Amino acid sequence: MSQDMLALLIKSLWETTYMVAVSGMISAIIGIPLGIILITTNKGHILENTALNKVLGVIVNAARSTPFIILMVAIIPFTRLLVGTSIGTNAAIVPLSIAAIPFVARIVESALKEVDYGVIEAAQAMGASPREIITKVLLPEAMPGIILGLTLTIISLIGYSAMAGAIGGGGLGDLAIRYGYQRFRADIMLITVIILIAQVQIVQSTGDYVARRLNKK
Amino acid sequence: MITLDNIEKIYESDNGTVHALKGINLTVSQGEIFGIIGTSGAGKSTLIRCINMLECPTKGSVTVDGQELTTLSEKELREQRKKIGMIFQHFNLLSSRTVYQNIAFPLELAKRSKEEIHTEVMHLLTLVGLADKKDQYPAQLSGGQKQRVGIARALANHPKVLLCDEATSALDPQTTKSILELLKNINREFNLTIVLITHEMQVIKEICNQVAVIENGYIIEQGKVLDVFTQPKENTTKEFISSIISHNLPEFFADLSLSATSTPGSNLMLRLSFIGNSAEDPVISSIIRRFDIDASILHGNIDHIQSTPFGTLIVELSGEQSSLDETLRYLQTRDLGIEVIGYVTRHARITN
Repeated sequence: MSQDMLALLIKSLWETTYMVAVSGMISAIIGIPLGIILITTNKGHILENTALNKVLGVIVNAARSTPFIILMVAIIPFTRLLVGTSIGTNAAIVPLSIAAIPFVARIVESALKEVDYGVIEAAQAMGASPREIITKVLLPEAMPGIILGLTLTIISLIGYSAMAGAIGGGGLGDLAIRYGYQRFRADIMLITVIILIAQVQIVQSTGDYVARRLNKK
Repeated sequence: MITLDNIEKIYESDNGTVHALKGINLTVSQGEIFGIIGTSGAGKSTLIRCINMLECPTKGSVTVDGQELTTLSEKELREQRKKIGMIFQHFNLLSSRTVYQNIAFPLELAKRSKEEIHTEVMHLLTLVGLADKKDQYPAQLSGGQKQRVGIARALANHPKVLLCDEATSALDPQTTKSILELLKNINREFNLTIVLITHEMQVIKEICNQVAVIENGYIIEQGKVLDVFTQPKENTTKEFISSIISHNLPEFFADLSLSATSTPGSNLMLRLSFIGNSAEDPVISSIIRRFDIDASILHGNIDHIQSTPFGTLIVELSGEQSSLDETLRYLQTRDLGIEVIGYVTRHARITN
């Protein structure tokens, strides 16, 4: 393989990592609080607000049911507004984040649902405020589940980021399409696939390890 | 210390309304161990949760340590709750925290300094006998140890009241005993008022001074444990007590034909109940000596309700009718509970 090819591969790897890392971070920052709101505003929970809960639920479901490829194209005007362009790695981060936020929200919601309500009740009996219950009970108790959920999110993002290549987002997926597929470079195709598999493996193992360390059950 | 005034609780759900509590009046004095017993679904869980307002009563008022809780704001209520400890059937410990951190949790909520927390937690660990387990996680502990952590956690803020929600129901009998022992010691040492709910009469018998029986959202019977045990009025109460002290005739007697009046040659069957000092009175030997009768003990038990001995005996007395009547009159002058079960005619003398 030529020197150029190798440089291209490294550049693509970096782009993928960058897209996934930034959109993963953004989706966690917005998705985790959203997941907390989804669970705590449930009927009978600490911040019961069924109206808000229903509205959020509908929005999250709508966002989740839109296929990524369509979402990506549909929000181009919004992307342009936000980053000034609809092409490139930064532009790809917008649809990636928007797709991942509701995903994270649901995953966090279901992780928090696993926390035994008795423990929440015990904290209430000790005079804990809703805020203290969230930060000192719900999140620490559900942390292994949340970590596994975020791992899943990152892996999905690696997959989605390949599609982002379609709008000029760059990354390994883009490389595989342009060189491996369109220019019949089977070697490039193979190596990008191998790198993607390795990436997913590393993310999954790290996530599993961290979750296992945090799980005291 | 605790006053519940006409508490009602109604749950509204899609499948209709449930009237869980139907006007509960209850007073618990300082330093008492107050037991509330009922079958599942009787409303006892709801009732104990009303005391610290985990359940908000639909009607009525709750006063703890002179403070009415029903009128407080959320924030004020949280402050008051710090003075009411609570332990649970399933312990409800934080699985992500060590024993030490679990006990420290309420102290963190009370915004105490690290040093204060350390001193307090170490003291509590010794109190409940878990000093060597401080760095373990709840998953590594046995049920009894978990409940000890629960107790230490509940005591951390020096509460005035401790609520026990079926605290021993998930534990085996021996562990139950040791947990009850611990609660009793805490009650004595800190003069802490304890309210507990249970479905096990044994628990009431072991440690309570006062008992209330709850059924269908009503308190059907209430009083000193000894009084309720020795003179239960309601059927439900009798059933609960029968798990420990049988007020029914043993099945062995079921096929005996009893008559209310004496017939020639019939024997008198009596149930004698003893409370306190009279339990040590040698009644049987004294009646045999005084009157020309024979006595067979058919059934009996002696038990202690806390430190008061309490027992029942079922005896069959045989002899001349006049002697039997005299014996009965004599017994009635003694400090005993007497119940004439009836007269029984036997073809042969009891041999067992």
